[in-house]
Amino acid sequence: MIEEYRTYLPEAKTVLMKDKLLKYGQFLFPFLVIGFFWEISARIGIINVDTLPAPSMILHEFYSLVWQKGALQRHLVHSLYRLFTGYILAVVVGVVIGTVLGLHRIIREMFSPTLSLLISVPTIAWIPVLLITMGLGGKTVITAIFLGGVFEIIYSTIAGIRSVDRQQINAARIMGVKGLGLFCKVLLPASLVYVMPALRLSIGYCWRALVGGEMLSAMIEWGIGKMIYEARFWNNIKVMFVGLIIIGILGVLLDRTLLKRLEEETLEKWGMLAER
Amino acid sequence: MINTGLFPAPAKIYGYLVVLLHQEIAGHSVLLSHIVVTLKRLFLASLWGVAIGMLVGVLMGLSQRIYRFCDPIITLVMPIPGIAMAPLFIVWMGFGDPTIITVGTIAFFFPVAYNASTGIRSIDIHLVRAATIMGARRIGILFHVYFPWAAVYIFTGIKLGLARCWRTIIAVEFIAAANWGLGYMIWDAAEYLRASIVYGGIILLALTFTCIERGLIVPFEKKTIEKWGMVRS
Repeated sequence: MIEEYRTYLPEAKTVLMKDKLLKYGQFLFPFLVIGFFWEISARIGIINVDTLPAPSMILHEFYSLVWQKGALQRHLVHSLYRLFTGYILAVVVGVVIGTVLGLHRIIREMFSPTLSLLISVPTIAWIPVLLITMGLGGKTVITAIFLGGVFEIIYSTIAGIRSVDRQQINAARIMGVKGLGLFCKVLLPASLVYVMPALRLSIGYCWRALVGGEMLSAMIEWGIGKMIYEARFWNNIKVMFVGLIIIGILGVLLDRTLLKRLEEETLEKWGMLAER
Repeated sequence: MINTGLFPAPAKIYGYLVVLLHQEIAGHSVLLSHIVVTLKRLFLASLWGVAIGMLVGVLMGLSQRIYRFCDPIITLVMPIPGIAMAPLFIVWMGFGDPTIITVGTIAFFFPVAYNASTGIRSIDIHLVRAATIMGARRIGILFHVYFPWAAVYIFTGIKLGLARCWRTIIAVEFIAAANWGLGYMIWDAAEYLRASIVYGGIILLALTFTCIERGLIVPFEKKTIEKWGMVRS
């Protein structure tokens, strides 16, 4: 009720702004508290700053990494490039394979034991295999990201395609919709309720695979995972903290902004979430 | 037709695993020692993870204030993969068990805490009021009203946590194990390009976890939440 009124009131916007600010404040509050006590105990000397650097030192390291060395941006650009290459590959291949397996029962039953074995292998365990078969470079990382995301998408697409009403497919076929048209106009929209959450889940898996892959591949130079891993050799804990915080924030942002928006633009707009 | 150095035949993989099984160091089979060490780490990390996760989760579920404080932290730290934290703990604790078990515990902690708090927060407040009126004490309410209500959530959390903990332990063993563990075995073999052992180790990983799931989790669920009629079997 109140929500409805707000849109009509002239001061509605400021009220909504206040709500938003309050929400952000609530989100930031615990970090500020922890940071405060952390900083103070580091200043007093309860914490040894060599093993656990104070927040101000971490911030300073962040500053110098970004503006003095310009290293952080390069690490990030490389990581994001790998992430999106691997993720887009996983989405395309996953949706295609999932659609084929979802439509044809015989092929599905032929491949499902293999798939269920493959899905139970942790993504990180693929990395040694990829390292010896594909080399120690960026290709390995992208393949690991691909493998991290693809199975979830295949499974959900199969479930989604199978949930499509057979009558709808037949009706579309009778009316002369075939091949790609059938896929784009009938199958994909109808199975989106299943595919969309998988897209969100799998970018999380890809993110994890990216960090693991970058840490374990020896021949790459740039990447956020590499930054953390290399910091170990210099015992540079500040850099590790910067890396961890960025991995955490980006992980949340990828999920909350990018894919949440996509979900809102499609599923919620079309009113499909209520159907579930 | 295919490069047997990189893609060995299944029979060869099996042969190498049998060799490892019979090879002995100090009277113990090498392969079994690797598996046992990993399982021991998994077990310890699970104990700690469930204990701490339940404690925090229940506190978060019962108190709105604690929830508001902890929820942002969980949101931000949960997506950080365990392997990324490993270098930090290597610097703090050195190579070997302490690092691996700590990172495993952290991996297990988050899903348990998150799901337990969601479950407890979802409780029907009338049940709590009814129990209070009938004279239940607070601890009794916790054990007889909150826990059964949240059981499905808590089990989901433990299941997710176990899978996550397993993955993390294998990953951290790649970089932080001193000389034992399945992850260490695979990594060591990969460094020397012994492809058979790498593939064999990965098959073992999948098998071991399937055994844990089928042998422990599924029967446990059947005895508890399925019997109580809380999920469709």
